Amino acid sequence: MDFLSPVIAGFGVVFQPENLFYCLLGVTLGMLIGVLPGLGPAATIAVLLPITYNIEPTAAIIMLAGIFYGAQYGGTITSVLLRLPGEASSVVTAIDGHALARQGRAGSALGIAAIGSFIGGTVAIIGLTFVAPLVAGFALDFGPSEYTALALLGILLITTLGTGSPLKSILMATVGLLLATIGQDPLEGVSRLTFGVDQLLDGIDFVIVAMGLFGVGEILYNLESLRKPAEPAAAVGSVYPSRAELRESKGAITRGSVLGFLLGILPGGGATMSSMVAYAVEKRASKQPEKFGKGAIQGVAGPETANNAAATSSFIPLLTLGIPANATMAIMFGALLIQGITPGPALVAEKPDLFWGVVNSMYVGNLLLLAMSMPLIGVFVRILRVRQAILAPLTILVTMIGVYTVRMSVFDMFIMVGLGVVGYLMKKAGFEPGPLVLAFVLGGLLESSFRRSMRIFGGDVTGFLTQPITATLLAVIVLIVVVPPVLRLSKRKRQRQEENVAA
Amino acid sequence: MSYERRLNVVAALVPLVIGVAAAIMSWNLGVGSLSAPGPGMWPLVVSVAMVITAAVLVLQSRPRGDEERFTKDVVTVAIAAASLIGYAFLFELVGFEVPTIALLVLWLKGLGRESWPVTAVVSVVATAALYLLFITGLGVSLPHIIQL
Amino acid sequence: MRIGVLLAAVALAASACAVQGGSSDKGAAASGYPNKPVEFTVPTDPGGSTDLLTRALAKSIEEPLGAKAVVVNKPGANGKIAGKDVFGSKPDGYRIAVMPQSLFAIGPLMLDDADPVKLTDMTFIKGLAVEDYVLVVPADSKYKTLKDLVSASDVKYGTTGPGTGSQLSQTLLFGLGKTNAAPVPFDGGAPTVTAVLGGKVDAASVQIAEGFKQVQAGKMRALAVFSDKRLEAMPEVPTAKESGYDVVVDQRRFVAGPAGLPAEVRDKLAAAIDKAIASPEYNEILKANYIGRWDANGDQVGAQLNESLKRFETLAKDLGIDLKAQQQ
Repeated sequence: MDFLSPVIAGFGVVFQPENLFYCLLGVTLGMLIGVLPGLGPAATIAVLLPITYNIEPTAAIIMLAGIFYGAQYGGTITSVLLRLPGEASSVVTAIDGHALARQGRAGSALGIAAIGSFIGGTVAIIGLTFVAPLVAGFALDFGPSEYTALALLGILLITTLGTGSPLKSILMATVGLLLATIGQDPLEGVSRLTFGVDQLLDGIDFVIVAMGLFGVGEILYNLESLRKPAEPAAAVGSVYPSRAELRESKGAITRGSVLGFLLGILPGGGATMSSMVAYAVEKRASKQPEKFGKGAIQGVAGPETANNAAATSSFIPLLTLGIPANATMAIMFGALLIQGITPGPALVAEKPDLFWGVVNSMYVGNLLLLAMSMPLIGVFVRILRVRQAILAPLTILVTMIGVYTVRMSVFDMFIMVGLGVVGYLMKKAGFEPGPLVLAFVLGGLLESSFRRSMRIFGGDVTGFLTQPITATLLAVIVLIVVVPPVLRLSKRKRQRQEENVAA
Repeated sequence: MSYERRLNVVAALVPLVIGVAAAIMSWNLGVGSLSAPGPGMWPLVVSVAMVITAAVLVLQSRPRGDEERFTKDVVTVAIAAASLIGYAFLFELVGFEVPTIALLVLWLKGLGRESWPVTAVVSVVATAALYLLFITGLGVSLPHIIQL
Repeated sequence: MRIGVLLAAVALAASACAVQGGSSDKGAAASGYPNKPVEFTVPTDPGGSTDLLTRALAKSIEEPLGAKAVVVNKPGANGKIAGKDVFGSKPDGYRIAVMPQSLFAIGPLMLDDADPVKLTDMTFIKGLAVEDYVLVVPADSKYKTLKDLVSASDVKYGTTGPGTGSQLSQTLLFGLGKTNAAPVPFDGGAPTVTAVLGGKVDAASVQIAEGFKQVQAGKMRALAVFSDKRLEAMPEVPTAKESGYDVVVDQRRFVAGPAGLPAEVRDKLAAAIDKAIASPEYNEILKANYIGRWDANGDQVGAQLNESLKRFETLAKDLGIDLKAQQQ
């Protein structure tokens, strides 16, 4: 097999002590900044760019890649323990992960997340090794009309995320969609709903919305019970997931790996979308969907596996086509440029050492992350034993400073506090932030893709049906979103008729 | 009308009013047509959906069991939120160190009723740790007054 | 209440000290400049060509300037957020910004803004870089030359966003050719190139660095460059001018400080930048991004911005194109 010889040579590159060191350094740093809310991998890699001048290219990219997928591990920790999503892709993990933590099962949630992340990541690397050139075309097949259908599917799935009243979920989703329209019109540059504030021209950053509604809202809510006699803290059970929990999560991890790998390839889709879709899929696949939102282990396993698989497969467009699929990949592109390498379709042929060195380093990096996170879980769950009165101000400070670092903007701090108050009020009135935050992510994608499609189709809506992938996705929407309620309705009707007959 | 019911009505009226306002603003942006959507079309569609959902929720305001009463603890929350606004306001003006310590003291002592020794130790150590982490360690350019 | 008084006192005492980093603008007097770190504000997210360029510049400028240089990213509103922030601060030379030409020469023609950053808000320090635009089509496109494309009956062209040189160059080109063409704006260079590669749009104008590798690998074809002369990076590609469409659009980057920067501070900065842009790191970034050098002093920068704005304005007027309406 000629094809495999550069792959194997790549392992030689990884096991050079210097490269192993940078791999370890990268994943450790990644995990750390993943824990810090706000400070994402993109910003960290940017800060570290100047350092990479003096490092050999392969080692530099190995380290930066480690930061990226390491951050996906770290983001889970605050999501589960504090309901504070450190990364966009960990938002859905906060829903069930935190519920598990409240039941004293934080260790299980974190353990499953780490194992799922490891498996998802590894599956995606294997995919990257063997089918990268084949699936790279998949990224190109997705144009505006395909994204319109995908975003529509995502938005329709959102209502399944809520646990309470579907009507309340829908209302929250519309609020999220409306929030997403704030800023410059994506096609015409007209400012919309910005009230003349320049800082709103580029819209509100996703991190701010997520951390405001989830994190700050949660902290404010918990302040109410600060002075009441403390509830007996949920005993921190085993710090490792049990065999039963592993068995329950098997299907979720498998599905998450495949979903994450495929969605990760799509530029702009990426990790966030895959974690959401995985959650919705798990809820549908589950025999006990009512457990979701109240601590279903699959609700952690699916999304966490998917976001790691997606993080890995998002390297495919960059390495095989020279197209950065997300903000972090854009910086990775920059890092390669600094090394005098312009990523493009010919990268694999021109620099096989670099390509396979980086790809294979991810196997090692994922192993290191698993090896690091399992023992650390025991340390992290101890955070839950810290008194609320001490934990709350510390968390809020890290969040405030974290949000400032996103754009170096005090304005963003104000917005986040405002959203935090909204999140608190929502919780009091029985509204969930999940649907809002996820609709916020997809709203912009749906609108801009739809309008781009209409320009491409010359204003003809039927154009959507002429695109094979789009038409397929639309058919899926009809199948899974429209058909089940109709079936349920007719079933109920039949039952009622039968009851009538029986009576 | 029960307390929960009133709460539900208010909670649905707020998005209703916002939705109406947003719909008017969107309309003014120019809606265009379906074949050539203008900047206002999508926000209009979304705000109309919001108004409709909110209106239905106003009508179906029976308590669902997920509402919570506002008690006098709401004052604590208001003070906390106000302190965060003040923190953000001072952040770039006087650097992050002083507001950080002040916020910690307020939350630990004022809201949390921790003892003075705990308050002092936690606020100073936490501020120093944040400095070391963000400014020294990660090289993030936070506004600061202490030079190392 | 004791706590409050205590805090107020501490805050007051502390506010007397100078604040470093972030967007603070309190600083020492101009004499003995520079005696503390100089902040370079970049109006984009980290990782883009401007960011890389500025980071390379900041790294190489520390020695000739004799002070630490810090890069701060303040993305937003095509550079306006950074501009408003830096040019509204004290003109002491400790806060300067790298600005794009498009904010001043293209934005005003295509977008309404009641409160723009004005040329008079700035002290121009030095020109940095020129980035050119290239018109690309998918490799299997039926359009082989610029003439083919312009004389086509129905063209959907991708742009990298409203108010960009990508949009302006094509609006002017298809305006000159009286082509029935509709713009499809994407969010930046990468999605635009993806759309061309996938054949979702007929053509697009992108910066050289965004499309060069794909053209080289034969995945896209370059029909024209919107520069004055042929480019070193792709000498076989004709300029739009050669094909009979006089459209010259580029993106330029320059360093500026707040208006009223003392002359000696400005000169010191300009001299240090001159030394920095000779460094290998800086040139490596230029080369890898196919970015050209813009060798201009402060006054020339101002003149260029004015000239570009007038030229685009006249061109559009002559063609009878309303650039703002063209967005729709």
